[in-house]
Amino acid sequence: MTDPLFPLWHIDSEEYDAVCAYLRLTPQSRLYDRLSRYLADAPFRFPRPSGFSRYLAEPRLTRFRIGRLDPVTKLFLPGHPLRHVLNGVIALHECDPRGYRELAVTPGPHAGVAVLAEILRSGLNLAVSLPWLGWQWAGFAAGAPFRAQDDLVGRRALITGVSRGLGRDLMLRCLESGAEVIGIVRSRAAQEKLQGELPAHARATLLVADLATPGALRSALTEAKIPADSVAIAILSAAIKHDGKSVLSMDELRETFQVNLFAAAELAGWLCGPCDDSQNVAPALSVDGSDTPETMREQRLSSTTRVVLVSSMGRWHGMHFSGGYNASKAALSIWGESLDMELRQRGNRRFTVTIVEPGIFPSGMTRKTPFTRVLFASRQAVAARILSGALAGRRAIRPPRWFALLTWGICLVGRDYRYRLLARAKPRSDR
Amino acid sequence: MRFRESKDRGETVNRIVVVGSGVSGAHAALTLLERGHDVELWDVGREEKPFPEPGATFHELKDRLADPVTYFLGADLGALVPPTSPELLRYPPAREFMTSREDGLLNFMPDGFFPQASLAKGGLSNGWGANALSFSDNDLAEWPVSFSEMETAYKAVYDRIPVAGPDRDDLTPHLQGVYPSQPPVRLSASDDQLLKTYERRKSALEKLGVKIGRARLAVVTDPSRTDACDYSGRCLWGCPRGSIYNPRLSTLKQCEAHPGFRYVDGRLVLALRSRDGRIEGIRYVNSATREVREEPCGAVFLAAGALQTGAIFLRTLRAAYPDAGPHSEGLMDKTVVRIPFVSLRCLGQAYDPRSFQFNRLIAGVIGEFAPWPSYLHAELLHLTGLIYHPLIERMPLDSRSSTKLFFAIRPAIGAATLFFPDRISSGNHQMVREHGENSEKVAFRYRDSEDKEHFIRQSVARMRSALHRLGCVTRGVVRSEPGAGIHYAGTVPMGTGPKRCDAAGRSNLFSNLYIADGAAFPSLPSKPITMSLAAHATRVARLAAL
Repeated sequence: MTDPLFPLWHIDSEEYDAVCAYLRLTPQSRLYDRLSRYLADAPFRFPRPSGFSRYLAEPRLTRFRIGRLDPVTKLFLPGHPLRHVLNGVIALHECDPRGYRELAVTPGPHAGVAVLAEILRSGLNLAVSLPWLGWQWAGFAAGAPFRAQDDLVGRRALITGVSRGLGRDLMLRCLESGAEVIGIVRSRAAQEKLQGELPAHARATLLVADLATPGALRSALTEAKIPADSVAIAILSAAIKHDGKSVLSMDELRETFQVNLFAAAELAGWLCGPCDDSQNVAPALSVDGSDTPETMREQRLSSTTRVVLVSSMGRWHGMHFSGGYNASKAALSIWGESLDMELRQRGNRRFTVTIVEPGIFPSGMTRKTPFTRVLFASRQAVAARILSGALAGRRAIRPPRWFALLTWGICLVGRDYRYRLLARAKPRSDR
Repeated sequence: MRFRESKDRGETVNRIVVVGSGVSGAHAALTLLERGHDVELWDVGREEKPFPEPGATFHELKDRLADPVTYFLGADLGALVPPTSPELLRYPPAREFMTSREDGLLNFMPDGFFPQASLAKGGLSNGWGANALSFSDNDLAEWPVSFSEMETAYKAVYDRIPVAGPDRDDLTPHLQGVYPSQPPVRLSASDDQLLKTYERRKSALEKLGVKIGRARLAVVTDPSRTDACDYSGRCLWGCPRGSIYNPRLSTLKQCEAHPGFRYVDGRLVLALRSRDGRIEGIRYVNSATREVREEPCGAVFLAAGALQTGAIFLRTLRAAYPDAGPHSEGLMDKTVVRIPFVSLRCLGQAYDPRSFQFNRLIAGVIGEFAPWPSYLHAELLHLTGLIYHPLIERMPLDSRSSTKLFFAIRPAIGAATLFFPDRISSGNHQMVREHGENSEKVAFRYRDSEDKEHFIRQSVARMRSALHRLGCVTRGVVRSEPGAGIHYAGTVPMGTGPKRCDAAGRSNLFSNLYIADGAAFPSLPSKPITMSLAAHATRVARLAAL
């Protein structure tokens, strides 16, 4: 099964079974499929839950949780995702012959008794649920100072490398957070595939630009008439890694540096470089192609721009047969810091540069070995941390933290030891 | 869109064109044909899909259809009402007579006013709730036309449209000009109970000015007729037997029996071309090719619905008199307020799956509401076949209990719907806006006045206390968003001035242009408008100097 696009709204089939059990309905896979598709579109049809409501929506649904959340969301949180789930399940089952028979049970002559019993049951449930809600609130309030804001409603995010891996997760996270996303993919095929996967109402524009070609990114953005100052957050996530290639193979090395470093510089130049009037006066491109005053108003210019460079923890040490990947990431990190210095010296407060050095997590670039599997951090969690950290204006993010400490530890013990350790972690490939 | 002049320009001058196939257009055309004229009826004319499984009741459809979820909620579940929405129901996605906002032909710009439109043969009447009443002298107080001037037209219309209703009841003195020809629609056990309670508590309700009676409905109920209602409870979802009046099934068929009638589909009229105060040509877009063309004409009857008629008129005016301004003289719609209730006396009653889906009872709130008409129309509905989840979600208990409770009390659940009248006010209008070459969009401005808000609050309070006295528990008030009333009127109203028409519906500016639909209404009474649309169209067609 593929990962859900928007975990906050999505429920898996076990959760659906729990909802059905709670409502005393028989789960039906056909109806679950319809529900899943409906919920995949939810971030673009309904307001995003925030604060406590969102906190309550994050954990998995269990029978117990559904029982507690049902009355409290009905009374206090009408837009909560669970309300959409329960309402959707009831709607789908009432349109189905079997579901309707299960729902439409009439109590016969003792309707009055049945009504009273149901009101009593509901009251008891509420009486149990309110203390639980208090407990949840305490947990929410205690964690509040550490919880990052990642609200991007009405803002525009530019992300490279969205067709898979971390870039894709960053895009989904931004979409779920209410952003309008300009996603850069490498090929038309990748664009079509991704467009097919996204729900119809997703506010995403996918542009094709092969970052290995100098100038491609900039011309794609100019062609799409995207004003640089409309971008609230720009995440450079695209990268390539020629695994198994020697650092001496010049073509691969050049391509690696072009994609991983020079494309970043190109984009940063487009974003924060000397103002090019010809592109800034162009009207904002709206997602659906219409240019009504409403959409124009929505796309007001952003007052700050967060530039996020996705580097790697690998930038701290060398790596054999990686086509110069680690070297390019080292260059990216150092270049990013230099950019930050330049911007700050110019007194430019509009931009912040966040350098992300993630540890190991599943992507197209990591090889599945028992060793890496232990060290994997969830990619979605990494995406969430990057987004909230960048929005908070942090200079460096290194998720997971323990992996960063481990890497620095290894770096301290000297090259000889490092060589032996890394050679074992990554056996020489003869590809 | 390409613009091309038609070759046969100037050929036929006596050509009479009726624009629109809704109730107004059909009755205008039939009246003109009866007068002996040749008539062309122009229409976009989209056809609805046939209604599936005739004979099956609403809930039986779930068993018989291959994909009931798509039928009831739409392929994208667009008719699934979200928990935060105030709506109690959405229009059936399986029916396609309404035009969606994405339709390329629709040129409305909804912004605070949400217009409903239809490009189907029969127009918005395909979704008519079938309530048939006429406007009395009191309703027509602001009109330059009295009831006696309308009476013959009403009679003709009631001849063409069979109406089911009682011979006499408490409401009869307030419902001038209603001529039922069919026995009233069968009541549900809950309706019966409510009516009995009303008889007992009549004096208390009279003090509130509330009277209740059986609905007057444009439905065939005489069992000897083949198209008589079979109580399958699918009114809103399209009556497979054609028992509810629809011009597509009857009046247009009658028109087709006349040799001088020509139905021309695939045309959306944009504007008229005029010279020296006369209309000479009709500019239209071919709905298939999207080509814009023009054809000459002798006289035009606009019956495209108040919003489209208003838009056509404004575009015509703009071309002929650029200084006249892009605004219409008015824009009216009914404010619809629903009061959901549970009648305690009906708890435990058996649920009858065979019943008429729309309201079987009506109520009048009667009093002095000047400047509003003295009769406020309300429809009392006990629930039958419907998509229930929005109602379950609105109950104050958790979903599990709400579901149980809902089905336990289903026969006792009802809603009183109040239809608030409207008047022409300076702030409310439609306007044409240029939108690229050869296309002008229509925008709206609509707000309810403070004075009307007061009237609404007062009347809702009266209706609620009436319901309480009938042994009902009410819960909340659901108010429709502007434009959802679908009883649009007054965009080219009767009166004096260039943007109005005379009492016979003839434009004050263009001598051969007739406003044959609700656009000509100078005020919008509370009562259902369909019979008056037909009567107005009939009267305009009878008086037209051709």
